[in-house]
Amino acid sequence: MAGTRGGPVVRRPAVLLSLLLLVLAACTGGGDGDGAPAPSAAQDVPGTIVVASGRDVTGKNGVRRQLIDAWNQREQREGSQFRARLVELPGSADEQRSQLLGALQSRSAEYDVVNLDVTWVPEFAAAGLIRVLPDDLLDGDVIESVAGTARWDGEVYAVPFNSDVGLLYYRRDHLERAGIERSDLRDGLTWEKLRDLVEALDARPDRGAYSKGWTTQLAAYEGRTVNAVEAFASAVEDFALVDGDGRYTGTVEDLTDGIAELRRRTEPAYTLQDAVHSDEAASLSDFAEGRTAFLRHWPYVYPALHRTFTQEQLGVAPLPGRAVLGGQNLAVTKASPRGEKAADLIRFLTGRESERCLLEAGFAATRESAYGDGARCPAGAAAPSASPTGEGADRVPRDEGGRPAYARTILLPALRNAVHRPRTPLYGAFTQTFTAQLGPLLGDDPPGDEALAARLDEALRRALPG
Amino acid sequence: MTPFDPRGLVNRALLVGVSGYDFTGPPHGVPGGLPAVGHNLDRMREALVRGRVFGEREIRALPSPLLTEFSQELQRSAKEAEGLLLVYFAGHGAVPSGDDELYLQMRDARVIPGKHTVFDGAEKFSDLLARVLATSPAQRIVVMLDCCFAGNAARVWERFEDKQHVLLLMSVQANHRIDAGDPRTPTPFTTELAALLAEEGDTRLSALADRLLERMAALGHRTVRDEAWEPQLRAELGMDVLLRAGGGQVPPPPLPESRATEPPASPESGATEPPASPESRATEPPASPGSRATEPPASPASRATEPPASPESRELPEPAPPRRPVRALLSALLGPLRRAGAALVGLFRPTAPPRPLRWTVFRIGLPAVLVTGLLGLGLYGPLRFIGGDDTPCAPPLELRVLTDPDLEPTVRAAADAYLTSGENTTGDGCRRTGVTVYSAGSSDVVGALRSRTGAWHEPHDEDVNPQRDIGPQPDIWIPASRADVDRAEDGRDTDAVAALAPEEEPLAYSPVVLAVPHAIASEALDDRTGHTLTELIDGLKARDEDAAVRRPDPEFTDVGLLATLGLYGADARAVSRGERLVAQPGPPSPTAAELLCTLPDDDAVDHRTAALVPEFLLRSGVGCDRTTRSPRSAQYPRDVPGVEPVFVRVRWRGADRDEADRDASVAGFRDWLTGEGGREVFARDGFRSAYGRELLDQERVAEGVLRAPSPLDESAGRDATARTLRAYQDAGGPGRVLFLLDSSGSMAALWEGPSGGPGLLRQSLGGLGGEDEYGVWTVAGTGDRRYETLLDLAPHSRAGAERAVGTGARVRDAEADPHAALLAALEEMEDRGDGDRRPQLIVHITDGEDNDRLTGARLTEVLTAARTSGVPVTVVSLQSGGCDRDRPDHRIADVSGGRCLDAGDDLGAALHDEVARTGTGEG
Repeated sequence: MAGTRGGPVVRRPAVLLSLLLLVLAACTGGGDGDGAPAPSAAQDVPGTIVVASGRDVTGKNGVRRQLIDAWNQREQREGSQFRARLVELPGSADEQRSQLLGALQSRSAEYDVVNLDVTWVPEFAAAGLIRVLPDDLLDGDVIESVAGTARWDGEVYAVPFNSDVGLLYYRRDHLERAGIERSDLRDGLTWEKLRDLVEALDARPDRGAYSKGWTTQLAAYEGRTVNAVEAFASAVEDFALVDGDGRYTGTVEDLTDGIAELRRRTEPAYTLQDAVHSDEAASLSDFAEGRTAFLRHWPYVYPALHRTFTQEQLGVAPLPGRAVLGGQNLAVTKASPRGEKAADLIRFLTGRESERCLLEAGFAATRESAYGDGARCPAGAAAPSASPTGEGADRVPRDEGGRPAYARTILLPALRNAVHRPRTPLYGAFTQTFTAQLGPLLGDDPPGDEALAARLDEALRRALPG
Repeated sequence: MTPFDPRGLVNRALLVGVSGYDFTGPPHGVPGGLPAVGHNLDRMREALVRGRVFGEREIRALPSPLLTEFSQELQRSAKEAEGLLLVYFAGHGAVPSGDDELYLQMRDARVIPGKHTVFDGAEKFSDLLARVLATSPAQRIVVMLDCCFAGNAARVWERFEDKQHVLLLMSVQANHRIDAGDPRTPTPFTTELAALLAEEGDTRLSALADRLLERMAALGHRTVRDEAWEPQLRAELGMDVLLRAGGGQVPPPPLPESRATEPPASPESGATEPPASPESRATEPPASPGSRATEPPASPASRATEPPASPESRELPEPAPPRRPVRALLSALLGPLRRAGAALVGLFRPTAPPRPLRWTVFRIGLPAVLVTGLLGLGLYGPLRFIGGDDTPCAPPLELRVLTDPDLEPTVRAAADAYLTSGENTTGDGCRRTGVTVYSAGSSDVVGALRSRTGAWHEPHDEDVNPQRDIGPQPDIWIPASRADVDRAEDGRDTDAVAALAPEEEPLAYSPVVLAVPHAIASEALDDRTGHTLTELIDGLKARDEDAAVRRPDPEFTDVGLLATLGLYGADARAVSRGERLVAQPGPPSPTAAELLCTLPDDDAVDHRTAALVPEFLLRSGVGCDRTTRSPRSAQYPRDVPGVEPVFVRVRWRGADRDEADRDASVAGFRDWLTGEGGREVFARDGFRSAYGRELLDQERVAEGVLRAPSPLDESAGRDATARTLRAYQDAGGPGRVLFLLDSSGSMAALWEGPSGGPGLLRQSLGGLGGEDEYGVWTVAGTGDRRYETLLDLAPHSRAGAERAVGTGARVRDAEADPHAALLAALEEMEDRGDGDRRPQLIVHITDGEDNDRLTGARLTEVLTAARTSGVPVTVVSLQSGGCDRDRPDHRIADVSGGRCLDAGDDLGAALHDEVARTGTGEG
């Protein structure tokens, strides 16, 4: 028990802290402080709102840029002097985070709006790098679980731009050839049933490129954390490693159960050997090559996989158990001299029409309305138009409203049921520790569940003190 | 809860203060004596006697004992004590890296650095605890430590199961060094401790600890790292001890109210003195209880200019020597800052390995940090945690560390180790600093730091964006050669917005060697050292005429450039011959590490190809294909400079929000990197010492490495590397690149933005110069018009070409025929290439949608043409998995010596690099 250990009896230097805050207040001049209202539009300095966002090699940046262009056109029509400009950051999420953090901490670059991975919001908020936004930016239309990624310390610090959630892609044709009658797995699949299916597939004599039942992302990076959290959250009811303030609350008992579940999911009998070294691209490639029948991945590969497989070959289902929520949220930097206008831009980019455009372009939209019939994407802003020759510019199966066919039936329920990764300002230290400590489980000589859980618990206590 | 009252029991207090040390010089001595500690014992004895818990005879003072003397006395006191055993230690404390232990250094202390550092003449704190627990019948044991790293004892204490009746008071939080203060007065912590023990009334240990924390904070004491100095207490819940019983004599000195955050504001001080510094506060003697009994509290300003009033000065009525006001001292030191820093910090770094004298031990940055660190107090609050006081750890300050691609694994390993090291951990167990390591092509980095810092700071152009194409704006740059820094600074933009501050000495050293497969290597020492690179290669080819040599890309990694210095010879005269020596099919490997991992892909190539790589990779770069690779031995050319990673602080204009904190974080990482921790990482990866050139790990020498070779002992120079790079870029003359841009209907979804087909093409034009020829064909249609010329194969201005692509390239509602287009392109390039020897490249940007036209005989036809043409074809596949094995795009790239790039790569940057290898670049 954390509270019973012999902690320091001495108190923290409250006097020094209060003096520090006094000096702070004097330095910042007030008005820009925590919880204080952002300057009104009248105080905003007209100019360019710089939006920093990670590079996206899937080509989907097109829709983001188009949405920004649409906002610029609106501003121009209204005679406003504000414009927005997208600055792309490196493709690597680690480098994006490093640049955003370093630049906002030091002001080595000027950003007004930053597109943050959902796990970074507590860190940027706690570090005072992004500002509190009006509550109404996060209205009731935002999917509840997704909205949870945008708050910290009771305040709205960011607005979900596009979401993400773990999904299970599978090969219908493999299942059918293995004699499995029901090749639609969208309802009620469990990991036990999944293993049964893999055994049935393995029993099939003609295997082709097929090697093992499923693959996922278990290399020593964020993907391993995601997969582990999914296993842990599936094994332990109301699983949480931190409390609302980001303090560690895990127990060896819960961790033991989670590790046991992760071990079951990654048993060599069912899992492609390369999964241990796979990231998103490698696991996608293995699945696309037919080396597995199942793949855990994100919604953004839905269009890509439909370019590789026909609808008869490819199926998608909610991940058995719990799935982890991903995605990016837009936030206004504390240093922005045009904070209110930047919030207005975010309101536009995350509004109903924009979210519908994002959904049609292949992103997981963050609003319930995007999945319904009310919202419409203005023409030309998102999905590529069908070609008269029938050449597949867009092979994504769509429903009558232009949404990807799985959006309402699979994606939206998956988002609603998704779980968060631990929300803590020290997420970087958490995920590094979590990933490293779970490594031995996937190695040649894995330790027992309880022994590993004890080590993980101790390491997490160090990584998340308090 | 009532504290344990030891009165009336047999108690013992052992007071140990080590002010003098027998070994204080390099290589194994401690940094120096601690005169201040010499005053501690008397002060403590006096305070304890007044406290009435210990009788005079129950207190033993042990000034500067040898370890054996200490052990004997500890044993004796422990055995005798039945009620309370108090052990007090003041002196040097030392901690080993990577282990939770604390060593209390006695008079005969010595430190012998190595893989497992030896602390001679020091009491291991866990031994001390074990000894007293095993031998003492005392009901309570109180240990007080006043030394550097005292807080590290807490982790040791926590390991003991039977620690219930041991209470531990530590002068400072874990992993912090502290200043011993004025040599004529007791140390700051003991001064306060003794003063509080002399306070009237009952004093229990927990209350004492609370008061100590408040007083140290109120007096503004700071650790050497310029953080708040926070004494610590460890005790089991409910455990407490009465240390003083009633009837005190003198009230404690009143606390100054504003010293923690405000410099003195009195006219006399403000007019004539520089602002207070952390050092000044740490070394000022607080007015003693005696002086306060008769005098009003001294103001900070007056204390700075008055001689200290201490018990000693009362006992010695002659005027104390005029104390040099510390602030004035600091002011005087602002000139020779380095010496000041060395004296201050060196005193408390007993575990730092001794450095050769010619090294610049402390750099200008360090004292500046100490000074600005105070001035920065409070200004950087937003970086501290403001979400709630009850969550102890603030998100740490983030450092962006850019390095050479061949150094990235080592620097990353170092950063990972540093992140969880004691040096990067606060007393609360929080991380001080976060570090992210990344790399980018060396010549791109030099170019960006020389002439594109403005765009790096604020990218305005979609096509020129170093934030995207190189990476974060670095706080620290670690190139593989100082020459990179010099080239970046040579002819820099006058409006550059990034300033470079390189350290004088490299972090480590590794010679560039010719790694020759054993089967064709000579083991004779004479053949392995003392020759130029071309002589070594000539010798190799004399032994085996089929032998080949490969070198990594000189534009991408410094290793390639350094090797090329040797290939081209003096003044880069023998360019053609040098390039012939390392001619290879297809482009060179981007890095030396990748070269060593590529060679074993083909056993025949591996067995007869020597590689120009840094020596350290013979240890850390041979993990891939370990069992099948050809073992190699190093030959050491005498005309190739080695790899010498240098630490460069990069400061961005306007990045002043957290300048002091950032400087301190950079200094912390730098100190770790140049200290024991960094040395271990460099040793593990096979590096040598930058100074003595000896292998850092003498025990495990990699196969094929000579312990004491005689490579070139000169660093690479700016002009030589610049000249060689230019000669390399010009070696094949201007290049020729033909872009095939798939414009079929399926590309519509992959057309817009910098990640789209035209966007990727436009970005890659930066790799082409005014003399290069290039053209663009759009590929769509299956009838007569299977491709169209958007841009003729000719020299172009970049702006014009971008405009043409931006306005002219359109998606057609048609399928494409890559088979026809590729055959036509190969034929075109062959025809053109017959007239000159320009390096050539075909770039095919496609989503692979129409690869059903690249199967069977058609694919064979293209593969044959690609293989025989000698023109590399680089395919940019916008389809996930487009470069998977056996895909047509992969096979075409493979047989032609080109590369296949897909979504698994950073497409924009990778394509730019490919094109730049063929072109002369924008320079």
